Amino acid sequence: MIPADKKTGVMIDPSRQRINPLHLAAAFGTGGLLTLMVHFNGELARYGNALFSSWTAHGTGTLAALALLAALSLRRHVADDGAKTPAPLWAYLGGISGAVTVMLTAVTVNSPLALSGTLALGLAGQVVFGLAADRWGLFGLPRRRPDLRDIGALALIVCGSLIIIVFAMEPA
Amino acid sequence: MTLNILFACLAGLLVGVSRQVNGRLSLSTSPLIASFWNHLVGFVALTAFGFAVGGLIPPGAADAPWHAYVGGPIGVIFVAAGSWLIPRIGAINTALLVIGGQMVSGVVLDALRTPSPAFLASALGVALILSGMALTHRRR
Repeated sequence: MIPADKKTGVMIDPSRQRINPLHLAAAFGTGGLLTLMVHFNGELARYGNALFSSWTAHGTGTLAALALLAALSLRRHVADDGAKTPAPLWAYLGGISGAVTVMLTAVTVNSPLALSGTLALGLAGQVVFGLAADRWGLFGLPRRRPDLRDIGALALIVCGSLIIIVFAMEPA
Repeated sequence: MTLNILFACLAGLLVGVSRQVNGRLSLSTSPLIASFWNHLVGFVALTAFGFAVGGLIPPGAADAPWHAYVGGPIGVIFVAAGSWLIPRIGAINTALLVIGGQMVSGVVLDALRTPSPAFLASALGVALILSGMALTHRRR
């Protein structure tokens, strides 16, 4: 299932790697979760501040993850397949990057950029990083080369998002 | 202003870094375990930062309704889902499809709350995003 091949360094051929409907739905639904998350965390920030909101969300999130892991391990004993190589230490530090993101956006949404500018430039940052990450297989994940159709999809989704951000967003 | 623009771009970049790093961890563990570490490490980092600058627990925080605290648990699923997806469909596809889902659900949520002031723009944006998604999916 996973097209990873970091041992041989094979580039994944996109023509055989169309996104299946389950992955498409999962990614789209994940975006919906993000909308809810931003809404609730924004609510919390309104009562406190951005730092408090993010700090609390990380704290309650840690507890929720622990509870979920405990519930899953009660249901079935996780088979240790022993085939997985241990993760490098830096792989545990994704949370730092997330914490810094919160601080940066807390500054920019309160600047003249506001929410729409923050989202639009953040979109640009994500696209540039995503293309580079796939091209070079950054941080130990598989390399992928986009084809013309991927570029077309990218252009459509970016344009659609920018239209919504610029013209359809209520001023904060 | 230049600094703000730099910050906003950097924030987007770091969203990608975070997803990529968590995705790598999930390959060696599981998406949920990666999400757990993401939240714990972020919590420790923000606690340290909060003690350094102060204002971690502002007055008025206690007045927040319970549902304002639901964001954290939702974030656990959000991070786990991203970590699961990224080795499967790649960084750029994950980023674009999540952004697409965020935009479309945001438009729907706004429309449910108040009559949209810019229906045409919203509809055009949603149509472009959906056709982009269809394009990633369609077989040759």
